[in-house]
Amino acid sequence: MKKKVLSAVLCGVMAASVFPVTAMADGGVTLNVTTTFAGNESNVELYQDTIKAWEEETGNTVEDASATSDETFKARIISDFETGAEPDVLFFFNGNDSNPFVEAGKVVSIEDIRAEYPEYASNMKDDMIPASPADGVQYAVPFYGYWEGLYVNKAVMEAAGAEIPTADTTWDEFLETCQIIKNAGYTLIATSLAKEPHYWFEFAIYNHDSAKTHTTVPAALDDAAGEAWQAGLADIKDLYEKGFLSENTNTATADEVFQSFLEGKSAFYLDGSWKMGGIKEGTDDIDNFTVTYVPGNGERKSTDIIGGLSSGWYISTKCWEDEEKRDAAVSLVEKFISDETVSAFAGTATTALKNGAEIDESSLTSLEKDALAMLKDTTGITGAVQDLVTQDERAPIFDNMPQIVEGQTEIPDAISEMLEIIEENAE
Amino acid sequence: MKKIRPEEIFLRPLYKKGVFLIPAFLFMAVFLYYPFLQNIVNSFMKIRNLGGGAKGVNNPFYKNYAELLTDPNMRVALKNTVIMIFVTLFGEVGLAVILAMLVDNVKRGAKFFRIVYFFPIVVSATALGVLFNLIFQYDGGMLSQLVGEKTNWKELYPLTVMMTPVVWQYVGFYFIILVTGLNNIPEELYESAAIDGATRWQKVRYISWPMLHNVVCTCAVLAVTGALKVFDLPWVMFPNGAPLGKTWLTGTYMYYKTMQAPDIDYSSAIVFFIVILGVILSKVVNKIFKERDY
Repeated sequence: MKKKVLSAVLCGVMAASVFPVTAMADGGVTLNVTTTFAGNESNVELYQDTIKAWEEETGNTVEDASATSDETFKARIISDFETGAEPDVLFFFNGNDSNPFVEAGKVVSIEDIRAEYPEYASNMKDDMIPASPADGVQYAVPFYGYWEGLYVNKAVMEAAGAEIPTADTTWDEFLETCQIIKNAGYTLIATSLAKEPHYWFEFAIYNHDSAKTHTTVPAALDDAAGEAWQAGLADIKDLYEKGFLSENTNTATADEVFQSFLEGKSAFYLDGSWKMGGIKEGTDDIDNFTVTYVPGNGERKSTDIIGGLSSGWYISTKCWEDEEKRDAAVSLVEKFISDETVSAFAGTATTALKNGAEIDESSLTSLEKDALAMLKDTTGITGAVQDLVTQDERAPIFDNMPQIVEGQTEIPDAISEMLEIIEENAE
Repeated sequence: MKKIRPEEIFLRPLYKKGVFLIPAFLFMAVFLYYPFLQNIVNSFMKIRNLGGGAKGVNNPFYKNYAELLTDPNMRVALKNTVIMIFVTLFGEVGLAVILAMLVDNVKRGAKFFRIVYFFPIVVSATALGVLFNLIFQYDGGMLSQLVGEKTNWKELYPLTVMMTPVVWQYVGFYFIILVTGLNNIPEELYESAAIDGATRWQKVRYISWPMLHNVVCTCAVLAVTGALKVFDLPWVMFPNGAPLGKTWLTGTYMYYKTMQAPDIDYSSAIVFFIVILGVILSKVVNKIFKERDY
């Protein structure tokens, strides 16, 4: 008899597990939310606290499927949309990575949301809300922006007797500084070409175009953008051949080289504004670190930086069409994009807030103050050109970077392969 | 004469017709055979994103299969997979046979050794990948510290570094199967041999080994087909075929073409190729290690 009861219970549990979690929680709605606030991201804790506060205020619940932002995460999101398993609310990139679900009409435009909720995102400057590259319509409400800069370990610079690059440092002077640091026995640039080639890719190309022309994807190998890309990749190869990159750059994980930077084995580390949190957490001496401009070359001044509002909050069409979920989704996004929340998340980053973000400078670390000073003297800002090509299109360059610097893959061949995929996707 | 109950009359014909096998068959059909057939169809279509619709048939329709023959990464993947098969056969099964024989001859502590050797299999491959990454780490890794200088093990010996943890993890799996096989050998055989004056080696050579042959055969088939699917641990340690595309395996390359550089129709062709290869190799292994009746 006991066995029969146990069997019945197990069968019941199995049958129940087949059905998805229903929309209704205890007195509220359950929203499926996916963001990039996971892993080492600076604002993970703040994100979780905000979700918790919203749940307490509204009685709704959040099923959170956030994950670290990498190429696999992007593929997962696209696949979720393709298979009808999309989240209700999504914090995701607003560049070409979003094209597949935008083109399929799987997210709701801000205009459509405002038709029902006129105050939606009214605290944002409309002209700073990026439009989708797919159809020029605004879908994602920007949260806070990013910038990319060259983090410097001051102790290494001092030990090597080298000067920290400034707004006036040129690329050639930077190479001379690198040689001085190398001669002192340190690794110059902590970077993993195997896992994170994109930061150097972006600035290397930027050094062969300008803030006005940077966001141009080559149409041919020999057009202006094509030439800039070839020259930029050749610069990365040059850095590698001169021994200025981490010795194990072709096999290292991103964490491994970052650790070498924190431990004072490397002088420079190129990354985004989000890395300030990682440095703060990984060191007891935040004053030992600063951030400066990536030295410029040609038309690009060192003070021309890369930054922007590359991600935002989407509401999926599936959620929008569900009367019970619609209110909750709008309420959750509004919670995140309120002046107060955006200010808390943004720190030193740019925002699209009409009133601007409130920054309590007294609470900032020396690194954050250096970042603010850097941003104040910026002469030009442009988005990342890699956001204008999709994951599969940029793979021949990004995934082959070790082969490119080793000379196993010719630079023109890698770019040509990318152009072929772009052409194929456009068919 | 035994009285037959009415429900037995009702059930018997159903049982004989194999009705109770239908749910399991349906499950297999929906979750294995249908996706597999669809995968073959997909390999002839133009599909860019996972789960995305097809944009017509490839031109020529066999384009992906022709590409498989010329793709240098696929050649590396195939070569490494063949090496992995041999390493698996001799490293995992071979080592497991030796360990099983040794443990079988241990009078005290056999249980302890069983747990020790089996333990790696219960640890997740991702965790093991991280662990071995630390062991082989260039700067501050365990091996670099032992030799006293920073050494880029992953770049110098990529295949050895990749395959060592895989072997280390799965030895325990085959070890347990083989130990179970050894336990099933009747004790009387050993006792008779002892009466006839057989040495320990002779017992192993003429009783244990022949009686274990069929179990070894099963292990060999599992090892060969398993080697074709190895993915998680190598991917954690050597993503994107690093360094310089030297460590691709059929499993990791298929994943790369599905998730990292989406080309779904091409990865479908790789999947089909892996399955065909698996069927052929398991047939070959079955032929070589033909099961015997004793």
